[in-house]
Amino acid sequence: MITAKGLFKRYRKTVAVDHLSFDVRPGVVTGFLGPNGSGKSTTMRLMLGLDHGEGETLFDGQRFGTIRRPMNEVGALLEAKPFHPTRSARNHLRMLAAANRIADKRVDEVMEFVGLGDVKRKKPKGYSLGMAQRLGLAQALLGDPRTLLLDEPTNGLDPHGIHWMRDVLKTLAAEGRTIFVSSHLLSEMQLMADELVVIGRGTMIFNGDVDTFVREFTQSQVVVRGPETAGLAETLKSEGADVVSEGDALVVSGLEIGKVGHLAFAGGVELHELSTRRASLEEAFMSATGASEQFVAKEPVRAAAPAAVEGEAL
Amino acid sequence: MLDALRFEWTRLLTLRSTYWLIGTGLLVTTGVAVLLGVAGRNDPISSEVVWIALNGAAGFGLPFLAVFMAIIGIFACGHEYRHGTIQPTLTSLPQRNRLIVAKLAVVLTTTLIVTLVQMGINLGVVYVVWGEAPGLFEDPLGTSMIGYVLYVLLYVLVGFGLGLLFRGVPSALVVIFLMPLIIENMIFGLSTIPALDWLVPVVKFLPFTDGARMMELAAPEFGPESPDFDLFTRWGAGGVFALFAALILTAAWVLFKKRDA
Repeated sequence: MITAKGLFKRYRKTVAVDHLSFDVRPGVVTGFLGPNGSGKSTTMRLMLGLDHGEGETLFDGQRFGTIRRPMNEVGALLEAKPFHPTRSARNHLRMLAAANRIADKRVDEVMEFVGLGDVKRKKPKGYSLGMAQRLGLAQALLGDPRTLLLDEPTNGLDPHGIHWMRDVLKTLAAEGRTIFVSSHLLSEMQLMADELVVIGRGTMIFNGDVDTFVREFTQSQVVVRGPETAGLAETLKSEGADVVSEGDALVVSGLEIGKVGHLAFAGGVELHELSTRRASLEEAFMSATGASEQFVAKEPVRAAAPAAVEGEAL
Repeated sequence: MLDALRFEWTRLLTLRSTYWLIGTGLLVTTGVAVLLGVAGRNDPISSEVVWIALNGAAGFGLPFLAVFMAIIGIFACGHEYRHGTIQPTLTSLPQRNRLIVAKLAVVLTTTLIVTLVQMGINLGVVYVVWGEAPGLFEDPLGTSMIGYVLYVLLYVLVGFGLGLLFRGVPSALVVIFLMPLIIENMIFGLSTIPALDWLVPVVKFLPFTDGARMMELAAPEFGPESPDFDLFTRWGAGGVFALFAALILTAAWVLFKKRDA
């Protein structure tokens, strides 16, 4: 169980993390979402005492800095390639293991587990980003901890690697461990996470389960399909619904599916489909964090045809 | 604390640079003794020759061994920031004081062992060539050899502190070589110019120059024309160098505790 209370961090005039409080429960995967620059990494660093700020984070009731051999309690992966280029991957883990009384045998076990057993004596400078992420996970799992904090662990992984990471994290959560994981891959998070902590500009936007988040930040839509729906569309609009045509279907917002079905029945309209369209996590995320996006890129503009250069030979 | 020491030993011993830096330091310093032996094997040995042979001509500038061991000292913390390993280090060992104490203990113990081994090797060369080492356990040779060991340890301590203070390797390397080899020599030289005689009182407080005085066989003679620098005694000067090392280390340590990793 992770309990974060009043986390606050300021960089000169910028407030990076603004009094964040949340709980991360064991037994489920909790996703940590937010736009770029929203303070996710800073929050994780604050939780582990790497950055100084205000507030307190307790891991099963203990502050990270007071845990004598922390890798046996909390495993962390924060940066993609924090390895000395000339020290072998195995020696990197042996070094960290030495501080936590973890046997070399366990180092070999986790290297095998993450699929790096054959290259464990190689230097990580030759590793791809995906391999480095696997080594980072091996580092986090070294002490077989009850809690895992992972910052963007799927970065650089191929589709097989992402699938593998999802299975690993869900399995670890099913064992009763506390898993707190940030990711930019929202489709992946939708498959992986049971609960969410969503922040924007350092402030809390949402803390709860994924379904509630999607429900809270998106409008559910009803899809209606039939041979003659033009009249029904007018009826639905007169009831205050927004109706959009998508091919041979109507997409209705603002009315419950039961009400749409009742109006069709009352109007004697034949229907081939009447269903609810569930919004994706990505849509909910965009809706929830749109206003708190810190670094906003310009919309792409179609380039105009280049004007003919005067005097240019044709 | 034992966990932290175990961590730091593993960190040091799993770096290739540790081996080539120590190896090169020993090779170059022993090379000086061998060169002296080859060139002067037919001449009678004096305590001055023993002095030069044992400290690898440290009295003429920076001791070779101190240079290489100081790089190891700089790497102890500088590498952590240069390669981003400070994050896994602090998530495996979050007690910052314990980490620094372990790093200091390991770096200084390694330096002491390597320095004593180097002196032992060079003494072996002296005995092989001349069969004796006159005045080794007497003053001033014996005292200057103690000063040599202390200088190497303090120089490494300064390197360690600079690596931690600058949180990187290049700046620390520049300062630790630039200060003794260029800046202090320049201040000393300029102080002999009458128009800049206000620099004269500064000379006795130049830390690396003071540190080097611990290794001297005899007090320096600047000639009748030179100003009176009113230099400290061997151990007084050593105290200035030790104070300088302590200031660098304290500043670095305090900032390490305050700064984000």
